Amino acid sequence: MESLYLLIPFSAALVLGVIGVFGWAVHSGQFDGLEAEGARFLHDDLPGDLPVTAAALDADQGLGDAAAEESARRLNDPRSP
Amino acid sequence: MSSPLTLTEKQHAAEQAPNEQANVYADAPVRLFALAAVLWGVVGMLVGVLIAAQLTWPELNFGISWLSYGRLRPLHTNSVIFAFGGCVLFATSYHVAQRTCQVRLFMPKLAMFTFYGWQLVILAAAVTLPLGITSGKEYAELEWPIDLLITVVWVAFAIVFFGTLGTRRVRHIYVANWFFGAFIIAVALLHIVNSAAMPASLWKSYSAYAGVQDAMIQWWYGHNAVGFFLTAGFLGLMYYYIPKQAERPVYSYRLSIVHFWALIFTYMWAGPHHLHYTALPDWVQSIGMAFSLVLLAPSWGGMINGVMTLSGAWHKLRDDPILKFLIVSLSFYGMSTFEGPMMSIKTINALSHYTDWTIGHVHSGALGWVGMISMGALYHLIPRMYGRTTMFSKQAIELHFWIATVGIVLYISAMWIAGVMQGLMWRAVNPDGTLVYTFVESVKATFPYYVVRLIGGFLYFSGMVLMAWNVVMTVRAGQVLAVPIPPVGPVLGPVPGAPVGPAPGPAPGAVAAA
Amino acid sequence: MNTSVLTHPSSNSGGSSGALPCGAAIAQGAEPDAQSIALPSSAAPTTATAATLHLSESHWQIGGMHCAACVTLIETALHAVPGLASVVVNPATQRATLRWDPARTAPAALVQALKTVGYSAWPDEAGPARSLRAAERRLALWRLFVAGFCAMQVMMFTIPMYLATEHDMPASARQLLGWGAWLLSLPVMAFSARPFFAGALRSLRARQIGMDVPVALGLAITFVVSTAATFDPGGLFGAEAWFDSLTMFIAVLLASRWIEMGQRHRAAEELEATLTRLPDSALRIEADGQACSVPVSALRPGDRVRVPQGQAFAADGPVLQGHTQADESLLTGEARPVAKAPGSMLIGGSLNLGAPIEMRVERTGQDTRWATIVELVRSAASQRPPGTRWADRWAAPFLWTVLALAAAGGLFWSFIDPARAPWVVVSVLIVTCPCALSLAAPLTWVAATRALARHGVLLRRLDALDGLARCNRAFFDKTGTLTEGRVLPLGSVPAAVLARAASLARWSSHPLARSLASSLSSSSASPLSNSSASSISASRPAAIDPADEPGWTDVQEQAGAGLSARDADGATWRLGSAAWVDAEVGTEPSAEVPTGIGEEASADAVLWLARDGQVLARFGLDEVPRPGVAQAMAQLQAAGVATLLLSGDSPARVQALAQQLGMAAAQGGALPQDKLAVLAAAQARGDCVLMVGDGINDAPVLARADVSLAMGQGALLARQQADAVLLGERIGEVVQARRIAQRALAIVRQNLFGSALYNLSCVPLALLGLLPPWAASIGMAGSSLLVVLNASRAGRP
Repeated sequence: MESLYLLIPFSAALVLGVIGVFGWAVHSGQFDGLEAEGARFLHDDLPGDLPVTAAALDADQGLGDAAAEESARRLNDPRSP
Repeated sequence: MSSPLTLTEKQHAAEQAPNEQANVYADAPVRLFALAAVLWGVVGMLVGVLIAAQLTWPELNFGISWLSYGRLRPLHTNSVIFAFGGCVLFATSYHVAQRTCQVRLFMPKLAMFTFYGWQLVILAAAVTLPLGITSGKEYAELEWPIDLLITVVWVAFAIVFFGTLGTRRVRHIYVANWFFGAFIIAVALLHIVNSAAMPASLWKSYSAYAGVQDAMIQWWYGHNAVGFFLTAGFLGLMYYYIPKQAERPVYSYRLSIVHFWALIFTYMWAGPHHLHYTALPDWVQSIGMAFSLVLLAPSWGGMINGVMTLSGAWHKLRDDPILKFLIVSLSFYGMSTFEGPMMSIKTINALSHYTDWTIGHVHSGALGWVGMISMGALYHLIPRMYGRTTMFSKQAIELHFWIATVGIVLYISAMWIAGVMQGLMWRAVNPDGTLVYTFVESVKATFPYYVVRLIGGFLYFSGMVLMAWNVVMTVRAGQVLAVPIPPVGPVLGPVPGAPVGPAPGPAPGAVAAA
Repeated sequence: MNTSVLTHPSSNSGGSSGALPCGAAIAQGAEPDAQSIALPSSAAPTTATAATLHLSESHWQIGGMHCAACVTLIETALHAVPGLASVVVNPATQRATLRWDPARTAPAALVQALKTVGYSAWPDEAGPARSLRAAERRLALWRLFVAGFCAMQVMMFTIPMYLATEHDMPASARQLLGWGAWLLSLPVMAFSARPFFAGALRSLRARQIGMDVPVALGLAITFVVSTAATFDPGGLFGAEAWFDSLTMFIAVLLASRWIEMGQRHRAAEELEATLTRLPDSALRIEADGQACSVPVSALRPGDRVRVPQGQAFAADGPVLQGHTQADESLLTGEARPVAKAPGSMLIGGSLNLGAPIEMRVERTGQDTRWATIVELVRSAASQRPPGTRWADRWAAPFLWTVLALAAAGGLFWSFIDPARAPWVVVSVLIVTCPCALSLAAPLTWVAATRALARHGVLLRRLDALDGLARCNRAFFDKTGTLTEGRVLPLGSVPAAVLARAASLARWSSHPLARSLASSLSSSSASPLSNSSASSISASRPAAIDPADEPGWTDVQEQAGAGLSARDADGATWRLGSAAWVDAEVGTEPSAEVPTGIGEEASADAVLWLARDGQVLARFGLDEVPRPGVAQAMAQLQAAGVATLLLSGDSPARVQALAQQLGMAAAQGGALPQDKLAVLAAAQARGDCVLMVGDGINDAPVLARADVSLAMGQGALLARQQADAVLLGERIGEVVQARRIAQRALAIVRQNLFGSALYNLSCVPLALLGLLPPWAASIGMAGSSLLVVLNASRAGRP
């Protein structure tokens, strides 16, 4: 089974390589905040689709429930204009 | 949201035009690969229909050597896997990497080189294979000059892809890119190891390995080609296009990451299951069987993750044929990844090996999983490459879906029945130990199933032709637009106290240190 | 009614943020503790030479985040500020970690950028601790991954050895596979297993023997002997290598520690969430009606504060305007949002969920309920739970015994079959698992404490868990414990008059007026759950719509007497004591004389409402059972706990209430010494007694009881002497607490029993040489995992 002389060291080296990659991923924070990251790309299609910061226009939150509601609605629905 | 530009501002913008390039996605390679994929899909499936017809009516080779089955079959496998599948992977990996990293493709000219290089590989294959120039190794039939070209193109591909990831402006690397990255690296390793050969002349080489060793390496390559080229790569596709089309995040992002690592763990050793009851040592076969069974878990984890993305929004399936393609492809994926491990069990393999059941298994994976997920992804991608959000005709997509599904079902059920029947016929022995059936009797018995298979394959092919038409109409109705990359600075409405003007580009400090 | 406009500092500054006191307050108030982080020069802008780039790191809590999409907005807004190097936002915990260059920007600018897009930020004191935990988690994950991944690959390499017969595999292939297995075990031993070796060394240096010592010894011996077997098959240690058992064992053990760490971290996070609830700045409404952002430390009782949606209340106090819902789960265990209307009390540190409101500050800083809870929690967290002391005492002898047995076994076998001796030693060392003692017991207590906290039960002394589980008698105080006082109209009063009364009452901070306001206007008023309520006004208090409120002018309050104000028509209204209202007592409105508040037939009104001298309504103080009490009593009875109502109030009333609530016995007219006597008598009979009281007046009795619970009332919280506090003031939680404590004890007992059984059966097997190392490692790792998983069950609600 001479092919094993190639395949075994090869897969051992591969394992070490994979561990290195995983280590890099863990330490560079790839696995932090997974929920947000999983959904992030859904909002980043075209520039105009970035959620409108209605909150910026309603900086005065004392305007009352209606404005707060509208802000909340827009923030939760990224595809609204 | 933008204020009308004054004359001076327009001049200012025009002067900045050369820099504008940096803020636009490089979609030319994506566009070209996507269209090429459709073309090679039609071609590859046409060859498939032809050889299916030849298996049914062998006279269809017309006595011409380069139309003979033995030469056309590898042309079919290479064109559907590497031409069609390969172009889909190139197009989608370039697209997904740019969009999820919010950055322009790294070295777009090199990406264009990969396009032309890959087309050259395909054309070379289309010429050499019918001419009978082959190394005889399955899915690696191309001779050494073409292998070298593949290596060069692949290295360029890796540079472009990993370069794009490396210059990303989003800290997190989306899971789809992990799958693409693993696929690229794995294919590189597999290709280099398996295609190692000693050239004897321009179009003839001898494998670096011999006998059963070569078989071991070949099927280590062969199965991992399926595993990384046809599975990992397309899973990457799945993790992007399904959420995008469904407008919902993946069911469990955490699970998708676990899925990725679990798959990486186990795929390497599944190869030997192609060599049961051969000269390969028994213990190697057993390992292959064991780990093929283990593979079931991560595969199904991924399938469930993708399908459940629609949880709570199943009604979308009713109206959206693209989603139908994407989700149904996952069910075929689940089916194939269940069937595969079952078939790798030695006792079952004793029946199925060398029969048409294997062909049925391959095609349920290829037509059902790879084909349909590619079609769904292309239907999503191509309009967006031409400034639209939908294809020219939605009914055509719907019709394509149903034609394709019926075609697949006919195909694989014909092959299952044929395969089991062949296996049983071949192993049927009389009490005195002689075979009950001669080989040719089993061939005769298979004939009707070959006809049904041909019908199924033809249906699938015509669906592809319909797709090609739809694509052409979409391209004609659309226009190529430059898609700007969302800048890192804020894109907000008027802010009290802030200066009004064009949205600022990325803050230099932020990008450099990010 | 005043309408105030929020002053936006940026609109006034036009550049200089220090122009207004408000703006300066933000800048100073939000100045977080920054940590300097030196980055390697490769991360520096191109102009830097060999110098390192020093970045400051801040941990913030973000207010106003509603969804994951907010993350993009926040990051985009912050990245626009030059000098920001990186920002990581976690939407689940609403926290952000920023790295910025102090030479180019300051926190004030970053906070400003956030405010511009509508979010608020304040320093997250627990940030550094959280970073530490995150770092710990990452390292543990990496170790676990390396161990698991390598274990799989090593298994792949070693399976052929099991499967192949002599002739199947050439010796060279065997050797190759063996070397591969050895190579891939190296990272596992050197990196993943390091915590075991470090722990063992630590305990040895302290001249003690910890759980890691036998594990580390076993690992070391296995590795050395397996290495010898691999490279020198004909040598002293035979030819069997056990790398697959070794790596798998380490992987599974790390997995169980990972689970345990997860539990520990979750407990710490929940603790911190409570501790860091108070915001750092608040919007105070000044005399001119402008809202100005001030540090919370600048708030004084009587200040009016506006609280936007999504922010935490900065102090304790009543709602003045607006309706909203508050998330009080961390402070009272109440999982559902609590509706708040004008007059309702707000707890500093709870979250404003519904809509912006205006409140009045009553208690700030250290006087708030929140601060007291923090103190209680901190002191409890620093105690060691009872079980662990016992566990610590037994762990050491146990481990010494194990070491001795292993040595003896090795010695014994070295005479009989030397090749087996090392494996026997290894098996004995590895198979023993004191995990039930040292690992699972503390985990169970931690988990149980968390579960209790979620029900609003705060333990001051962890020993209370034991008593809670064992108690079979429950004594309850009456006033303030099982009942609460409510001010309600006497007789039927027109709704319009009630509305006036309620809106007037809101202007006072007197407890009676507040109680009146909240019982009249709270739309979530719990229905009075028993029949004595029918003697009081049958008119259900309607929710007051702020739009209906008449404008009051010239409001004056006389401490201890009452309120007076003039309405829009110019009439003078008075609300307060009889003397204040100066009414002719006896002039009744058109209502009938109410019959009996409880047992007293006298119409004992505590508040009178008059307009222009004419009495329009009277309000009495009624004691009503808290909601859910009767049900709780029934549950306790069903659980086998005899309930007794013990009160100083008149025996007749006490008996009536006890009957109404379905309690087993009642004793009225009890002085403190009488209560003690009853308690002593019960304990002498062998009962384990749970006492529930108000914590202040019953201190001696509470101290004497086996376990005591007190109602967590406001400012008195600080002086609680009970073993545990019912933050939510829901008697039903007593039942839950008992259930949780019992479950925790049961789990500990299960673990101990199972562990004992396991050790007693496996150690002899290992000594007899019947337990190969791979079986020992499966056993140990598996039992460790099982015990930890079982312990975490205690944390379920």
